[in-house]
Amino acid sequence: MIARTTFASFEIAPRVVLTRALLTGFVLALALTTLRFGTYPIATADLLIFLIRGGDGIAHTLVVEHRLPRLMTALGVGVAFGLAGALFQTMLRNPLASPDWIGFTPGASFGALLAIYATGGNVIPGAVLGTLATAAVVLALAMDQGLNVRKLIVIGIGANLSIAAAADLLLAQVDLMTAADMTKWLVGSLNGRDWADVAVIWVGLAALLPGILAVGFPLKGLMLSDDVARGQGIAVSAMRLLTAGLGVGLVALGVAVAGPLPFVAFLAGPIAKGLEGGTRPALYSAAMVGALVVLAADYVARLVPLVLLPAGVFTALIGAPCLLVLLVIAARRGQI
Amino acid sequence: MSVLHPEVHSLARPRAPGPVAASMAFLGLVVASAAASLIFGYRTLSLSDIGSALFDHDPFLPAHVVFTEIRLPRVLAACLAGLALGWAGALMQIMTRNPLADPGILGVNAGAALGVVLAIVLFGVSDPARYVWSALVGCVFVSAIVFLLGGRQNTNPTRLLIAGAAMMAVCLASIRAILLLNRQTLDTYRFWVLGGLDGAAVETIQALLPFLLAGAALAVVASRWLNALALGSDVARGLGVRIRLVQVTTALAIVLLCGATVSMVGPIGFVGLVSAHVARPFARADATWHLLLSGLAGMTLILVADLLGRLPLLGGGLQAGVLSAILGGPLLIWMIWRGRLGRT
Repeated sequence: MIARTTFASFEIAPRVVLTRALLTGFVLALALTTLRFGTYPIATADLLIFLIRGGDGIAHTLVVEHRLPRLMTALGVGVAFGLAGALFQTMLRNPLASPDWIGFTPGASFGALLAIYATGGNVIPGAVLGTLATAAVVLALAMDQGLNVRKLIVIGIGANLSIAAAADLLLAQVDLMTAADMTKWLVGSLNGRDWADVAVIWVGLAALLPGILAVGFPLKGLMLSDDVARGQGIAVSAMRLLTAGLGVGLVALGVAVAGPLPFVAFLAGPIAKGLEGGTRPALYSAAMVGALVVLAADYVARLVPLVLLPAGVFTALIGAPCLLVLLVIAARRGQI
Repeated sequence: MSVLHPEVHSLARPRAPGPVAASMAFLGLVVASAAASLIFGYRTLSLSDIGSALFDHDPFLPAHVVFTEIRLPRVLAACLAGLALGWAGALMQIMTRNPLADPGILGVNAGAALGVVLAIVLFGVSDPARYVWSALVGCVFVSAIVFLLGGRQNTNPTRLLIAGAAMMAVCLASIRAILLLNRQTLDTYRFWVLGGLDGAAVETIQALLPFLLAGAALAVVASRWLNALALGSDVARGLGVRIRLVQVTTALAIVLLCGATVSMVGPIGFVGLVSAHVARPFARADATWHLLLSGLAGMTLILVADLLGRLPLLGGGLQAGVLSAILGGPLLIWMIWRGRLGRT
């Protein structure tokens, strides 16, 4: 049971507030830990001095030039994927309908691969164009008098398969070094991210924020059924399209700076919803869970020295078992 | 009653020829495409070359060597792979009552591929006859979970597909993570995964034949029961069919067919989907005919895909798997877009 107090027209559930506060706290704590940690550990006090007053020397360079941009990128990417997953899952009313495998994320990473193949770099525009092209095709084909949810999912899966085959084909056309580099973009990594990446992801997030805030409230109506939503005066078709557009934009941003990072988008929604325990779309918590997963994965990636495994390997390691458990639970309950 | 998705069934062309006539026609297509596959290539063989290579073999004549060492194994591998995938696709579609089921779409092929990659990395195995075992384990892993979700009668078809896509994502993510650790395996994998028949050798076919035969035998047994199951689980039980046994047999047949095929030629998607779809109108809702026709259609598809991929017109180097994925993905999307299959 959730005790609810009503202030004006807002309902505030203590559990929701507590969850959000705790998740935010965890993210901040983990962020601080990753800043301090490294082959050159830095004390918290020093960190504060650097951040507030600036400074020079090797520790300062390490923090400001390497650890901080990497951390900010990880945070931004986690927020983007977490939000994207929650948006798609809520809009499609299916916890398994993650952009990870309905074409959007694979489309983005294929765009990145194509950019590497054609120009040897320019991953960011490649990923953005890849997502937009995939989304245009999938969304256009899934339209009949508004966005047909079931068609969207199945067409997305079809696109996913074709894109995977195309990526495989591309991998076989290049030399081994490039193939390894491309594989990294099929997994996702945060190694060596700099302030330019931070700028891309956070400016992009800021640009999409008004839209996300705008859909956040009516999305709750859409969770139950189209009819309920219409009854509440929500323009269902327009809402769906707007939500899909925002989700696609978030995916494009995330993949552009870090690669696909498998399962982050998928995991964030269900975990956030489970924690908040409510019937509302847990967008804020999903963003925080996304950030938490990416930070944790990148932290573990840095813990394993020498091999420089990308963070995507660890999000997959965290995500795959969770997915299996979720599938089995869903099957038991007959939800699937 | 029919095995088919009601909506699809209503689309069966009103005067589709019967299964016997259709299987004759399909067989003709298989023979024609196999003959074309034997004749054409980098070096065109004449019919007399082929005849003398078969009956008056001279190991020093290049034409004969090309025939027995390259063309014949290639055509054999294509036929076996097509048959196996066609059967696996038909079995999946009948069992799950989902017209979009396919070993590639439901992630079973990806599971086999994960098994193969693990075998290469962990045990240094590079021989298909040995990594077929881990491919089978991978298949079991994926199909157990997918069928746990989709084996039930009233499963929502979209959800089954999502479960398959999610399982495929799990396998692909694991494969890519492993490949990042091991560059040598990446170099092998990136060519193997394309699903080409270039490496087809008689030894590989011989080694994998028992698995395919076992899978085929189980499929034939299961197809009889599947007909009864199509009448609904209560009727089937009344007819003395043990439902759990049918499901396990069918799943085992699918696993054997897919695992052996992936080990032989790499993961090839969409062949099962397309051939089961093509065969359906002619099968008159009989699972055994559906299997047979789907197998023949699968053989034709792979033979033609392989032949097209070898044509200089397309650059000459496209693998059968790549071609079937490039053509199959849009086909799947088109099928849904036409609105015939995407609904409950």
